[in-house]
Amino acid sequence: MAACTVYTTQSLNTNCSFPTPSKAHLGFHQKQVLLYRSRTSSRSSSSRPWVITCAAGDSQTVVIGLAADSGCGKSTFMRRLTSVFGGTAEPPKGGNPDSNTLISDTTTVICLDDYHSLDRTGRKEKGVTALDPRANNFDLMYEQVKAIKEGIAVEKPIYNHVTGLLDAPELIKPPKILVIEGLHPMFDPRVRELLDFSIYLDISNEVKFAWKIQRDMAERGHSLESIKASIEARKPDFDAYIDPQKQYADAVIEVLPTQLIPDDNEGKILRVRLIQKEGVKHFSPVYLFDDGSTISWIPCGRKLTCSYPGIKFFYGPETYFGNEVSVVEMDGQFDRLDELIYVESHLSNLSTKFYGEVTQQMLKHADFPGSSNGTGLFQTIVGLKIRDLFEQIVASRAQTPVKSAKA
Amino acid sequence: MATIAGLSLSGPGVMVRASESQKSNTVKFPLLLGQRSGSGRMRAVRIVRAAPDRISEKVEESIKNAEETCSEDPASGECVAAWDEVEELSAAASHARDRKKKESDPLENYCSDNPEVDECRTYDN
Repeated sequence: MAACTVYTTQSLNTNCSFPTPSKAHLGFHQKQVLLYRSRTSSRSSSSRPWVITCAAGDSQTVVIGLAADSGCGKSTFMRRLTSVFGGTAEPPKGGNPDSNTLISDTTTVICLDDYHSLDRTGRKEKGVTALDPRANNFDLMYEQVKAIKEGIAVEKPIYNHVTGLLDAPELIKPPKILVIEGLHPMFDPRVRELLDFSIYLDISNEVKFAWKIQRDMAERGHSLESIKASIEARKPDFDAYIDPQKQYADAVIEVLPTQLIPDDNEGKILRVRLIQKEGVKHFSPVYLFDDGSTISWIPCGRKLTCSYPGIKFFYGPETYFGNEVSVVEMDGQFDRLDELIYVESHLSNLSTKFYGEVTQQMLKHADFPGSSNGTGLFQTIVGLKIRDLFEQIVASRAQTPVKSAKA
Repeated sequence: MATIAGLSLSGPGVMVRASESQKSNTVKFPLLLGQRSGSGRMRAVRIVRAAPDRISEKVEESIKNAEETCSEDPASGECVAAWDEVEELSAAASHARDRKKKESDPLENYCSDNPEVDECRTYDN
């Protein structure tokens, strides 16, 4: 089904690309743009060409937002998510090798650092961090995400993390699914409106410290003190600008230290909570045993033997920043395949296409961090939920009748 | 694979150490930015590949820089921005390390280009 809208060129985004108009036929997927000048243009002083753009109903992009501090597993999440849809996401071939963008068959992942308005030297001069909204161009972010959502390709700037400079822009063609990941996907209210689904990765301070130590101790020059100082220095900006975004997220993955081992400070066993907002369109939360009740479940027992410290599950309704949510929580670690299958068979509303899909996805990426605990499990589940959301949106759009052209 | 890389300097009149070129595999010319000489700005851009060693050195430098800036005034915006830079570079270094690990397996590289050959066939069930 195609819906055609008439625009004047003034209302069009300047980043429009005009594909060569081909003969319109049933089943075309691309936006057809026909440009013509009105006959009356000679009379009026401001000649305004009219543009008719026709978009096939299923060419509108689904936009997902993912927020987290750097070093918090976003890239792992991306790899799991693209794997659920099939294929691997890779940097665009032939482009800037320091590009942050990842492209697979169905998904394109854009790193929001590309919308920095200040490069590294600029930020140093002004004394602001990358977390500060003043270092980011939200107007451009909004315009470009809106354009991609409407099926218009954009020239997106590239922020080079190695040099700290803004490189020449790269062309981003509208994919089926666009994921915007970074520090501020939900900060600007206009961008928030464009998101079909949003996720926030909330890592507690102790776990963040442990993960950053793991990441940075191999680097020359880093010491425990420097890692600690870096986290502490960024904390005020993080708490002021990034953390408040979690109230807007449709799903929050919260990572905390385990409660199974008293005084554990190694951070190897994790307690992970999947906080799912109720009432989100096309999103039905995962539950354990009975939707809406409170369940505490230890799968280890007669049918399943687990090694120390075991696994503990919790499910229940809660309130989170004034919103009704359902929380599924896992504390502990998977040691064996059959533990994973056993747990999967008792979770409901997973949006899997076949029995064992979650286990299969976890095994496929057994080398990814978090594959043996709740982080990998819930990231995989959220990936399946996003796939389900995408399919529902596509199905509902295919049923919408052709709308009349808007002026 | 070649890129055009610009080196950002922390202040005017600072030149990149020539010793860097010996450590990395490609030849670089020092890049002079923002320096005013009689003949105007002089710029030599060399196509380089971002090697992890270079990033590691940047991480080291940025940590030293941050410690110095913060010893003067721990509460200032410059101190916070300096530690933020350390964080950014550490993240970039860790990504580079992961990429290097991924690229070091010749079989993986061959199979990503030729998934249909006998050596690369995978069985899911």
